[in-house]
Amino acid sequence: MFGRLLWRLLWGNRGRLAVALVSVASGAAVISALLNLDFDLERKLTHEFSVLGPNLVISQKAGAQVQNAGATSPSLMDQAVVESAIAETRAQQRIDAAPYLYIVARVAGRPVVVAGTNLDTAGELNPTWKRDVGPPMIDERVLLPGVSSSLVGRNVARQLKLVPGSSFQLQYLDRKATLGVAGILDSGGAEDNQILVDLRIAQQLAGTQGQIEAEQLRVPGNARAIAEYAARLAAALPGYDVRPIRQVTEAEGNLLNRTRLLIVSMVLLILVLTALCVLATMAALAMERRMDVGLMKALGGSISRIVGLFLAEVSVLGATGALVGCLGGMALAHWLGQRVFGTPITARWEILPLTLALMTGVGLAGALPLRLLGRVKPAVILRGD
Amino acid sequence: MFARLVGESFVRNPRRKLLAASALMVGMAVATAALTVALDVGDRLSREFRSLGANLLVTPQSDTLPLQIGGVDYRPVNEGAYLSEADLGKLKTIFWRHNILGFTPFLPVPAYVPETGGATTVIGTWYEHAVPMPDGTFFRTGAKTTHSWWNVRGRWFQDGANECVVGARLAARYSKEIAAGKTIHLEAREGSKESVPLVVTGIVTTGDAEDNAILVPLGVAQELSGHPGQIRQVLVSALTKPADALADRDPVTLTPKEYDQWFCAPYISSISFQIRQVVPGVDVRAIRRVADSEGRILSRVSALLWVVTIAALVAAGLAVAATSAATILDRQREIGVMKAIGATNAIVAGIFLAEQLMLALIGGAVGFVLGAALAWTLGESVFGTPARPHFVLLPVALGLAIIVAVAGSLIPLRRASHFEPALILKGE
Repeated sequence: MFGRLLWRLLWGNRGRLAVALVSVASGAAVISALLNLDFDLERKLTHEFSVLGPNLVISQKAGAQVQNAGATSPSLMDQAVVESAIAETRAQQRIDAAPYLYIVARVAGRPVVVAGTNLDTAGELNPTWKRDVGPPMIDERVLLPGVSSSLVGRNVARQLKLVPGSSFQLQYLDRKATLGVAGILDSGGAEDNQILVDLRIAQQLAGTQGQIEAEQLRVPGNARAIAEYAARLAAALPGYDVRPIRQVTEAEGNLLNRTRLLIVSMVLLILVLTALCVLATMAALAMERRMDVGLMKALGGSISRIVGLFLAEVSVLGATGALVGCLGGMALAHWLGQRVFGTPITARWEILPLTLALMTGVGLAGALPLRLLGRVKPAVILRGD
Repeated sequence: MFARLVGESFVRNPRRKLLAASALMVGMAVATAALTVALDVGDRLSREFRSLGANLLVTPQSDTLPLQIGGVDYRPVNEGAYLSEADLGKLKTIFWRHNILGFTPFLPVPAYVPETGGATTVIGTWYEHAVPMPDGTFFRTGAKTTHSWWNVRGRWFQDGANECVVGARLAARYSKEIAAGKTIHLEAREGSKESVPLVVTGIVTTGDAEDNAILVPLGVAQELSGHPGQIRQVLVSALTKPADALADRDPVTLTPKEYDQWFCAPYISSISFQIRQVVPGVDVRAIRRVADSEGRILSRVSALLWVVTIAALVAAGLAVAATSAATILDRQREIGVMKAIGATNAIVAGIFLAEQLMLALIGGAVGFVLGAALAWTLGESVFGTPARPHFVLLPVALGLAIIVAVAGSLIPLRRASHFEPALILKGE
């Protein structure tokens, strides 16, 4: 009986209900798209921040890194120890890391800073580095057979007149190495004045096999995640100094917080507004039932029957609208992610029950005036005032 | 007659009017707040990005190769070229002078410090220095502006005083000899007769190579190096516009019209071009790690914010349309009476639309004020400075209110026009 009444009610009012359904569904679409965006925001933004380059550096604790032209007196770390500690602590995170060993060597009698590193990972770590040859870091076409390759900083190349494909000789004390220029590096930073070579070559020149001066890392995530990882790494590497590159981490934290706060507060406003809109629609639907309430009361029947029917109607409406809207909203979020961040936003299924509950809840709240009508004299309602 | 009808209908049942007007108000308040924030956010976020530090590096053009590791130049003092400190004021005379938020000169000097028992890098710089401008005023700038992440325990040195701050790693290594309040001595080289005594006023943490150096007032470093009035490099922090297709082109290849457009936009390339024009003999380079990432993140975040703003507009429109529709549905009996005594559909629609229009104007205006206030608080809580109201948004808010209120009424009015008055009056 109840089911049949409900069906007749829904079908009989299908025109009016369709309007309400559209309103509920669009509200749900906006809410679920924004919630989806919001849940994914931090991950997306921290991913964007990876263009800022490394944010953590490991060096020797009591290290005296005092250098003069032509001579280095760095205190070095064991490369194997550092790298195994990173491998142990990295867990599921993707952590880019590049070792560094700096020496001041001579090219044609002129002192140049030579940075020994892993050319590929250093390139991944610094997405803003530009090469005159496109990626990958090492251009196979200009590699000289039998000669190790190097990346020459822009200013170095200009002063020493080096072009891709040429070769030059590095001299450090009495040790020498011949290197080919695999590319000119335009970093817009200190690397413009350096020559980047493979770590092993720098170690050979300096006579410090297996040792590095610093290890730069890029840890994904927010300030807390970075600090947590730094603490874990410091615990695994006693005697070493693990410190955040404050220029990057401070700005990152700052920007992340402000952007999140801004977006979240606007999303909250929109959430409230949308809920109000759905509430208004539902309340309007409820007010249309007031005649039924008046009639029921006049006949001496129970108004809870009417209210129950209406609640069932609203629940069906809310649930259907939320379901349709939520799916639409997720598609919308997917598309938006593609447009704004270049990668789609993964649908979060926990948003579906959230939207469903919210929409049904607001719909039920819209039924409240009907309940209140039960207290009014039936004659007043039926007269239509 | 029509005006009286509308007026009558407008003042009757104020509770219902209040409901409709407040829906309009809330909707337009959110729309106004969202638009105000979105209009300002690019500017605000790019200011926020300045916490990343300088985005331009000014060096002498005919320089030898700097022996630069992590931002500190380790060349001996008699090698390479220098810039003149007196030229720095000119940086604030370029076309985009107001976009130059700050600049800091650097002069690294290798020195001998007996307290550390060896060679140590001394960096001469400004913390908060009053730079004389060509027009006679002073511009306060220095590391405080361009290196806001530098954190000092104690206090910074006074400009021109014989004071210094010591990098945290260096201080940790020689904690017995170097601490705030103690005096250290700088000598140009080991065993030189003259030494400069400096009081340590603080320990600085920069997270970079300066942690292993001693930071001193620029004058002290110039005296120590024997290069008075000279500096190695200047870091400039400028507010810029994200690069687009025009920004990356070579100014030589631009047509005169494009050139004007390029010159008059605060691109990082046009600002560095203008600096090269006013300070001859310098090389100006964008620090790409800062400049590129700024442009990229900024455009993403503003795109994101516009998405949210559009969502706010849609939500506001939906809410207003829904309430408008509800109020008209609510008054079907009234429509029935009007039609029963001979009103045409046009008159009924006219009365209701005029009423909606008045509601929209009132609700839109109040909503604009509320929205401006909302944006003000939002700006204050997120960025620390309130967002100024944009009065250009007032007609936008009013127009939007009218459009959604009228659009929301059209569907129920159309339905009402099909109703038989008798049926409505009977209550079916």
